[in-house]
Parts: sequence; C-alpha cells; structure tokens
Amino acid sequence: MYKRLPCWAMALAVVISWAALSHSRADERRSQPFPEDIPAARMVADPYPALNGIAVDAENNVVVASDPNRKSLLLYDRSRSTSEGTQTVPVRQIIGPETYIGMVAAVVVDPQRREIYTANNDIEDTVVVMPYAASGNAKPARVLSVPHQAWGLALGRSSDEIAVTAEIFNAVVFYRREAHGVEAPVRVIRGPKTRLADPHGIYWDDAHGEIAVASHGNFRGVIENTGGGCAPAAGKEQTASESGEFRPPSIAIFSSRAKDDQAPLRSIEGAATKLDWPMGIAEDSLHDSIVVANNGDNSILIFDRQRGGNVAPVRVIRGDRTGINRPMGLAVDAKNGEIWVSNYGDHSALAFDSAADGNVTPKRVLRSAPAGTSTPGFGNPMALAYDTKRGEILVPN
Amino acid sequence: MAPNRVITGQGSKLGRTIHGLAYDPVHDEIVVPNALADAILVFRGSANGDEPPIRVIQGPCTKLVTPHSVSLDLEHGEILVASLTGKRINVFRWDANGDVAPLRVITGPETKLGHLVGIAVDPQRNLMAVANSEDILVFNRTDDGNVAPRARIAGPQTGITDEPWQLQFYKGKIFLAASNHLHVNLYSGVTLKESSKAVPDDPWLNPTLGFIGVWNITDNGDVPPRAMIRGPFSGLLHPVGLALNPEDGEIYVSDSVRNGILSFLVPDFFEPKADKPSSDHKE
Repeated sequence: MYKRLPCWAMALAVVISWAALSHSRADERRSQPFPEDIPAARMVADPYPALNGIAVDAENNVVVASDPNRKSLLLYDRSRSTSEGTQTVPVRQIIGPETYIGMVAAVVVDPQRREIYTANNDIEDTVVVMPYAASGNAKPARVLSVPHQAWGLALGRSSDEIAVTAEIFNAVVFYRREAHGVEAPVRVIRGPKTRLADPHGIYWDDAHGEIAVASHGNFRGVIENTGGGCAPAAGKEQTASESGEFRPPSIAIFSSRAKDDQAPLRSIEGAATKLDWPMGIAEDSLHDSIVVANNGDNSILIFDRQRGGNVAPVRVIRGDRTGINRPMGLAVDAKNGEIWVSNYGDHSALAFDSAADGNVTPKRVLRSAPAGTSTPGFGNPMALAYDTKRGEILVPN
Repeated sequence: MAPNRVITGQGSKLGRTIHGLAYDPVHDEIVVPNALADAILVFRGSANGDEPPIRVIQGPCTKLVTPHSVSLDLEHGEILVASLTGKRINVFRWDANGDVAPLRVITGPETKLGHLVGIAVDPQRNLMAVANSEDILVFNRTDDGNVAPRARIAGPQTGITDEPWQLQFYKGKIFLAASNHLHVNLYSGVTLKESSKAVPDDPWLNPTLGFIGVWNITDNGDVPPRAMIRGPFSGLLHPVGLALNPEDGEIYVSDSVRNGILSFLVPDFFEPKADKPSSDHKE
C-alpha cells in the first residue's frame, strides 16, 4: 500500500510539494510548469467548512460538527453563540491526511469516554473514532471498515454497540463499540420486512429499547437485482430479480435487539407526516418525541414517539425566522432542553428550545463562515454536464 | 458562490448519491440516473426546486441495475446507461417512459465490462466508450448482447491506474477524467469479504494523482494521452467529473478532494492538431 502523504487541498504550497512526486527527481527544482500543467481559469469551491452531522454533549459542554467540504471535525463550545454574524471560532478542528476524515456524514459522541465517532459516507467506507482532545492532523483512536455508503451512526450504551446505516444496501449494520480495523458486524437489519429504503439518520433509544431509522424511499431490492427483465426467457428458469421502486420516506422504529429481516415495531410514513428527505433524527426524552431534520422543505419535524402510521407531526419548526437551510444533522440536548440542527446550505448550526414550534428564531447560532456567505452546496460532485442553451454547468451531488 | 437553481427534495425522485447526468439540447431536458432506485429520471431543462421528473424509466422490464452514468445520442434519439455493479450497458429510446424494455443491452463475459462509472457515445462514428474498472473500452454503437469490445485503452503508458471516471466524446476524441483514486471495497454488500485483512489507506491520498486525458477514438492498447491536464498548477488532485464546452474552448472538471469545479481554457484541445501523444507524462 502506498505511503500516506499530506494532500488535503488546503494550501498551494502543499499542492506544489505533491507535484514533485509526480515528476522525475531531475525535475524537482523546475519552477516552470510542464506543458500539460495548465492553471485553471476559474474554480468554484467553498473555502469554509460545510456542516453536515452534529452531536451535542451537555455533560462536557461540547458541540461537534462534521465537515465533508474541508474534510474535518469541528468542536465548539456548546453555550457559545456567534455575534453580529461573525464566524464562530471552534475550540478545535481535526483536519489533515492522518485523520482519515473524508466525505463525512453523521457524527455521534460518547460523553463518558470522551470520544467522537464519524462515518465516511462515500469511497472511504470507514467509521473514524477520535478522542475529544484530538486537534489538527491527529491520528484516530480507531478506524473501522464498514460497508459502502455509510451515513448514519448511533451508539447503544446498554449493548455497547455502534449501529451504521448503509444507503445502497438498505441495511443497518451493528458492531462492537470498540471494533476497529477489519471486523465483521455482530448483526445486520436487512430484508424486505424491514422496509428500509436508502436509510440515512438513526438514533438509539436505550431507555425504551428502540432504534429508529430515517429512509428516503429509494429502493433497489434486497435480493440482488440481476437485471433479468420482466418476462421469463423461453425454456429457461427465471432467476430471482428485483427492480427498483420509489417508496414513501419513513421513520421505522425497531427493537434495539432487531436483526436480519425483522419488521419494525411501527413506522411513521405517509402524506400527513410531511417527511421530505429526512436526514438526522434524534429522540427527545423530555417531550417523548422523535425529532427529524427534514432536508427537503427546510424544517424540523417533531413526532409523538409512540405513534406510527400516517401521522402528522405534533410540531413543525419552519419559516424564514428559523434560519433552517438544507438541514442535515440533528441532535437533542435533553439536559438543557435544546434541539441542535446543522445547515448544509448556510454554514451554520442552530440551537432551538426543544419546545419550539412554528416560525421561531433559534436561541443560539454557530457559524463556520460569516453570515451571508453563499455556498455551492457541493457534496462530492462526481459528474458534470454543460447546458448549452443556458450556459450553465450542471452538477449532481 | 450559490448555484443558479437547485433540483432537490422528495418530489424530484432524486437520490443523494447521483454520480452521472447529461443535458439534451435538442429536447431541452436533463437526464439523471438514480442508482439507488434503479431508475432514470428525465427533467425539464429549466427544472427547479422540488420538481418531479417528466419521465421515469424504472421497473423489471428495463433491466436496469445500479444505473450510474448516462450519455445521449442526439442523432439516433437514444439514452445510453452504464451500470455500476451490473456489468452492462442498457440503451433506451430518448422518450422511453415507465417500465419499458431497453432497445439493446451489452452484457456478458466477452464484453469485459466491470465497474462502470462513465459512458460516452459518438453517433457520427457509430462508437461508444465506457470508463471501466481500470481502462477505457470501446464498442460499436449498435452492439448488442455478449460482444467483445473493439478496442481497449489501458496500460502504464496511459497513466490510468484505478477508476477512470466520466468521459466525453468530441470530434473523434475521447476526453477522460482519470481519477486515479484507489478504492478498495472490503465488503460484498454488507458481508465482510474473507480476503479483507486491513483497513486501506484513504483512497484520496493515492500519491499517483489524477489527470484529464485525451485520446483518439481509434486508439487501442497502451497508448499515451494525446493531450493532458495535470500537475500542481492545474489544481487537479483526483478529477472525476468532466464536461465540454467546445464553443468557448473550455473543459469543466469536478474534483472530489477539492469538492469543487475547475474550468480550463484549452481551445487547442478541440482542434485537430491535438493528435500527438503527450511526451514525458509517465509517472
């Protein structure tokens, strides 16, 4: 395996040092670019951290956010708030090639052991564990290989496990909490009865022995789709094949001991729920509710924890005063009665009163860039197209 | 800077893992695969917000398996779809809608198709090419079934190591975003492979950096690129997305490490003279 090198694209000097590696030793002192080393005429990128996952530790007064844009973890003072729209200085930022932090999504914290867990969503296929004290280009305490497209993370204190959602496999994968390196899962929730479809956020409710999972509804089968088609081939036995479908978004609540193709205890699903790309979710023990970062319509939905089916949220935080903008991560601080949400569209994290309802202003705001700083909103853009009619570059996330 | 518009939300039927798309200037439409729902979505060219697609290709008859990238044959009115995990290329009519059968499917052991992440078609020369696991495979445009590629561009002279990504055709030339990131998958689905022994290094830290390479469509074998963009001044680390704007002489490139888009002004790349192999490019 290759030697690890410092290559986060943060500074031109670092980039230039990599160049020496890609040319011969005789070229190392060359100051002129090679003919093919053509400078870019323009670049669209966000120089600031973009906040995705969020976690709160009331005991240690810490808020942690994951940043897939600059590939970092940011630790903030929980009680701090930005003033006059300025950028909030983090207590620490964990960033650099030794960290294993890449296209990170969810983040959770273990206040007792003072550890941060974060899931690398695409390509890296790892869960990275960092001590609270880590800073800069720190090596992780543990790195665990997980299935492709991991997004959500949850810690089970009672069973001492971690749970990871895997989008493309419609699955929740469980490991020993201290698992590291290459270690097989201890169990998996997966199968047609689970109704999991492109799962994202997950929380673990130890008090009630439940796990809840937010699904977007994109479904491509749990038996491998072989592309066998819709008609049996003449004279041949048709192999099992499933095709894709769009299901409604949902929150599925399972027993925390569920495994294999086990059905959820109940599921929140249907038009009345207003679910729209549900991302991070959390349980609010103070209000016995489930709180959802509803990315598609820039809202936070709050549901009665004990109800299932096509139920309306009991409260909705939404509107121009809220500042909610493409919410991704969500965490509940039951001790201080607060809901935290991270905005991928606005370089910010917001703290609301956990009893908030309607078009309300947040109690506090953390900013990873000055207020009003726009963002392209990129999340690992891996294809492009050019719209010749409008002169626009089309970018998928 | 903020985007001009964003197609997003549940109503769009988009997933949040979209790794391909194409624009159709004839019908003013955007074609997007949703690999997590085995679907192809077609939007109005001016679509915005939580807008539903005007057509959806999805269902067992489509034989779609993790559709990952798309290319449009505007001359023959076809959508070509490359599969990430299904080792296949499906071809549909441009206006296909619903659970419809493909016009053609290239699949089978002779095809050498593996991990496909890019596809392009040249209707004038009746050729198509795919970015395969570690090579470029060229097929006849009308190939169907278990057919061998007519050409394979691969080898140390090409500079391509792992996961060549999006590619485009223009006037007999293949433009490729050669990512050269090193992705090692330790799992088969959610099952750990027996061969998995250690956590790989971060795939984006592969010191063999990626590049933009240009080949002739008639190239075959271990052929160096005939034009390149790479190196520290270029800002490219591991480029993946690629779009062409020949009218303005520009190439647009996305780079996952930078999480951004770079624009290169290279009008000579679109001229016939860019046909000599690049010298001293090999690492």
